[in-house]
Amino acid sequence: MNIFVTGLGCISPLGFNLKENLAQLRAEQDGLVRSEYLESRYKSEKFYGEVKMDTSSLLDRINVSCKKGLTRTDALAFVAFDEAINHAGLTKTEVESHDTAFISASTVGGMCLTDELYRDANLNTETSEYSGSYNCAAHTLRITKEYKIKGITNTINTACSSSANAIMLGLKLIRSGRVKRAIVGGADSLAKYTVNGFNALQILSDKKCTPFDSERDGLNLGEGAAYIVLEAEEACLSKEKYARLLGAGNTNDAFHTSSMSDTADGVTACIRQALQDGGMAENDIDYINAHGTGTQNNDQVELTGFSNVFKSIPPFSSTKSYTGHTLGAAGSLEAIYSILSIKHNEIYPSLRVSNAIAGFDVSPVAGYTNDITINTVLSNSYGFGGNCTSLLFGKV
Amino acid sequence: MYIIKTSCISPQKTHDGSYANDIISYNGNKYNAIEPDYKGLIRPAQLRRMGKTIRMGIGAGLPILQDIERVDGIILASSEGGLEDCIKFLNQIVDYDEGSLTPTNFVQSTPNALAGNLALMSKCQAYNMTHVHRGGAMENALLDALLLFEEKKADLLLLGNVEEISDYNFNIETLAGQFKKEEVTSDALLNSQTPGTVCGEGSSMFLLSNNPDNALAEIMDVAQVSFPHKEDILDFIIGFLSRNLLSPEDIDTIIIGKNGDVRTDFWYDYVCDELFQSQNQYSFKNIVGEYPTSIAFATHFACELLAGKDAPEETIIREINAPKNILIYNHFKGEQHGVILIRK
Repeated sequence: MNIFVTGLGCISPLGFNLKENLAQLRAEQDGLVRSEYLESRYKSEKFYGEVKMDTSSLLDRINVSCKKGLTRTDALAFVAFDEAINHAGLTKTEVESHDTAFISASTVGGMCLTDELYRDANLNTETSEYSGSYNCAAHTLRITKEYKIKGITNTINTACSSSANAIMLGLKLIRSGRVKRAIVGGADSLAKYTVNGFNALQILSDKKCTPFDSERDGLNLGEGAAYIVLEAEEACLSKEKYARLLGAGNTNDAFHTSSMSDTADGVTACIRQALQDGGMAENDIDYINAHGTGTQNNDQVELTGFSNVFKSIPPFSSTKSYTGHTLGAAGSLEAIYSILSIKHNEIYPSLRVSNAIAGFDVSPVAGYTNDITINTVLSNSYGFGGNCTSLLFGKV
Repeated sequence: MYIIKTSCISPQKTHDGSYANDIISYNGNKYNAIEPDYKGLIRPAQLRRMGKTIRMGIGAGLPILQDIERVDGIILASSEGGLEDCIKFLNQIVDYDEGSLTPTNFVQSTPNALAGNLALMSKCQAYNMTHVHRGGAMENALLDALLLFEEKKADLLLLGNVEEISDYNFNIETLAGQFKKEEVTSDALLNSQTPGTVCGEGSSMFLLSNNPDNALAEIMDVAQVSFPHKEDILDFIIGFLSRNLLSPEDIDTIIIGKNGDVRTDFWYDYVCDELFQSQNQYSFKNIVGEYPTSIAFATHFACELLAGKDAPEETIIREINAPKNILIYNHFKGEQHGVILIRK
């Protein structure tokens, strides 16, 4: 069964919509900054992939009947969701149909309101407009209610692979015949909670991150939201299509709660599973949008996985060098960048890479490249808890 | 999809199966889980570092995996994950003004930590998923398993839920008006006629197979709907039954998620009055409390009924004959509604 991507929507450190993201990717302009809006003592010490707008202005951009209790994560999700369904030309009837699933993902949810959460969780108040806002599923339910979605709805949290799994589940639901279309993706915003969590793990870089460089010293946290519309062929016969979703893999590394095995067991099995699921051979892959966080552990292990699977490693890059690690939004944001690569036959590079990682004689694509044909792209996402997901996209 | 084995930690003595003749009564808003002795299952040093979510999930999950060579996936449903760890880390951030913090609580607070830990402890490198869709998380986990079996990508799966009572969710849900303001005993909960319910916790785990040999029960189907109007719910349930070639008369037993909240229990009365007037009827939240993935407990309870075990008196609303074809109907806050069809 052919499953097509018919709509894309995103808001990220690179811009407020798909068009702005594409322009920045082509111009090799990252969105990494000292934070302007985060309330944390680390706001000026680290670099962040921050969406360049304060929360109240973001909320002004969205058309929602009731804005009480909405968080930054919610606002980002609404912006990207709305763009995706409009881009796909979905009618109100289609969005509300039982044939339409909505699967989102988040790891931070409403915890972006870290101080309010501290207040409410410790009962230092008598009432709170946010009591229903902290949960990871809060944004999904707000969108479900606002857009009167009656079909299957779901929220995934598998840490940093969350929205890649949301996409995979959309694929499975359409294949099963239970729905004709699925709006899939994820949203996360910068939070004092995650900044301190990753800082305690000592994997936040003080500089702009340099995934796949020998001198890489950690990741930059980012934020954003990205949704794609998947449709069964019969549901989108006369529509413009941007790519096909060919297959997906999901495994667990089962090695450690917050790092990956040197042998790259989970990564390797996951890529192989995605290839098999999509009916592709290893030499069919034209480009890999890597997980590439910029930590010592991830990039080394991911490259080991590539070496295990591919006789000759295809061109690869990490667009986290533009956006930072947007956590629950990363899988779907990078899926969108992968789809743009296919649509426009171009690769958005890994920025700021000087030297290859010792032991591997391969370097990521280091500059914007458009003199190639991209038919098939592999997009990887990995998370704490050993979660691995790979998605395979192909040309229409 | 067949249930081969179940295991359950709840506010009743379900962990050793002795609960039915010895139901514990509760007074007040917290129904805390009766946890087993984890000795022999989890090393003491490991146990000390574990938050309650991970501890209960492993305590319910690992016994299922004993004597099993491998499963082809681990699927978890949890609305909240490790809240105790989450608030510990949160309090550290604020109390120490973002100073040097230890990451243990942070890593354990992510809802996928339990599925990751179960994979780690059972060396399971296969499919791994955590659904966090609040009151719909368990329904989605079951759907995920149905799809894997349909795709022939699995023969055996570990699937379950976990939810804990912590200051975090209890206080926040208190602010949201979720719990009773007055003290009510569990015996009086369902007839309390006041707003609010009580908070429960626990973990129910299931070994699922695509093979009916030695099965306790078959899960035929699962469905969910969000924010329905009252008049939609009958169509939703009739539609769900009819896609399984059934009508309400084919159902002999309904398990309902009544929780004593006068604001939202009308859904159950309406559905039972309109569609299921003469069937066996059981409740479960008056013995285990309310939480977003409590339909997992109802599924465990359904397996017990199908195995011919006597239902605790506290759970019987109407009992006519031996349950064979069971419909579970549950909702969370009247917003997310779920149904599960389960039979012998």
